[in-house]
Amino acid sequence: MLEKIMNMDRRVIFILVALVVIFPTLVPVRMPITVSEPTRNLYDFIETLPSGSTIMIAFDYGPSSLAEPEPMAKAVMQHCFSKGIKIIGMTLLPNTPTLAHKLMRKIAAENNAVYGEDYVFLGYRPGTLQVILGMGTDISSVFETDYENKTVDEIPMMENITNYDQIDLLLDLASGSTTEAWIIYANTRYGVKIAAGVTAVIIAQMYPYLQTGQLIGLMPGYLGAAEYEKLLNAPGDGTIGLNTATYAHLLIIGLVILGNIAFFIQRRREG
Amino acid sequence: MKRQIPLAFCFLFGIAMIFTQFSPHSYSQAVYKEVINWGLIISPFAMVLAVVTLIQTHVTRINLRTEHWQYSLIVFVGMIVMVLIGVPFGPQNSIVEWLYNNVQVPMDATMFSLLAFFIASAAFRAFRARSFEAFLLLATAMIVMIGNVPVGDLVWNKVMSWMPWTDGASWLRQWILDVLNNAARRGIILGVSLGVISQSIRIILGIERSYLGGGD
Repeated sequence: MLEKIMNMDRRVIFILVALVVIFPTLVPVRMPITVSEPTRNLYDFIETLPSGSTIMIAFDYGPSSLAEPEPMAKAVMQHCFSKGIKIIGMTLLPNTPTLAHKLMRKIAAENNAVYGEDYVFLGYRPGTLQVILGMGTDISSVFETDYENKTVDEIPMMENITNYDQIDLLLDLASGSTTEAWIIYANTRYGVKIAAGVTAVIIAQMYPYLQTGQLIGLMPGYLGAAEYEKLLNAPGDGTIGLNTATYAHLLIIGLVILGNIAFFIQRRREG
Repeated sequence: MKRQIPLAFCFLFGIAMIFTQFSPHSYSQAVYKEVINWGLIISPFAMVLAVVTLIQTHVTRINLRTEHWQYSLIVFVGMIVMVLIGVPFGPQNSIVEWLYNNVQVPMDATMFSLLAFFIASAAFRAFRARSFEAFLLLATAMIVMIGNVPVGDLVWNKVMSWMPWTDGASWLRQWILDVLNNAARRGIILGVSLGVISQSIRIILGIERSYLGGGD
């Protein structure tokens, strides 16, 4: 029996993982969510912004990791549009513009936001550091046109926006190391306030910046998206994703415990 | 000359960019802005370099008939199709968008999703408390994982209801991230930053020349 557990065919584990992902997606079980302080700080910051303020969202995630940052993007955009806050979208990654543009269009349509007046998507330009630093002096020197090929200077909502001085918050939705680049080059050099929504695997990297105040808020993975949705009282993809993640976490914890029990029994027998 | 000129440029621009960080004078800021603009112009060339390297790598694989060389042909088919449609018609062309949404997005997401299966299998086989240090790592990982999902607090509030604290699982996770993790991360950040500063000084002063190639 012990041998069987220790040498469990990995296909059995694969089937178990598939089941714990499929089952909660089909039959969602709502669990109570405790909102963490970093997510609440971001929500409170946006909540206190007056109508007409501008936030910039950097969609720095690719198709491979969109499951976590996309629900965050949806929740934050919904919040901003409901409060009359304008959104400038852009990305530092070459394979994201289509994804981000489509998402902005969708959320804007649901909230009756108008392109060019309530939101704009600038797209992508190569050169991470040069783009971040360049926008600090003049956004239109980096993005002469937006993603829809309209001259940035002619877009109504960009009339009074030259650089970071007119941006109230920069939110980086990331699955890589871009948040640190934004902190080092945009926050330290130009003083723009930065918040982040990152995939669960890189949460630990962000905490020193939260403590120093270089990040004013942080949404950690699915949990962050679900927490933000709870604050908005609008459960969405983040809450569904968190359900699935819950069962997957429990399975992995169960497997690790099972593996360790079998390991210790075997060691005692041998030793 | 092939080495002296790049070294002189590196020294000149390195010192100039450091100076612009400390001087708010309009001339200094004009230089800063100009150099950033040059950077923006140079950056796309890195992408050209990436494409050339990709082509060279896969042409070599096809020529040498290395293992799985057939996949290199698929790389070229994908690249040529996207370039032929994307370059003349732009990224908002309906065919480009369709290919992106229905080929690239699902394939990328699938590749990443496979990680969940391998992580579960690897965790079962390799995550063993073989020593005290391994036990500490295991226990910390378990607490962070259970605190990362709502079921942690749900179980805590039911099972540990006799305790004065509620939501203990998420509190413990937060404490580990705020205190233990922060201490370790800060050490790493400081170490890396000092390394970056010293390496930058070496490059600006021409002591470190490996970026010029030639194994110097």
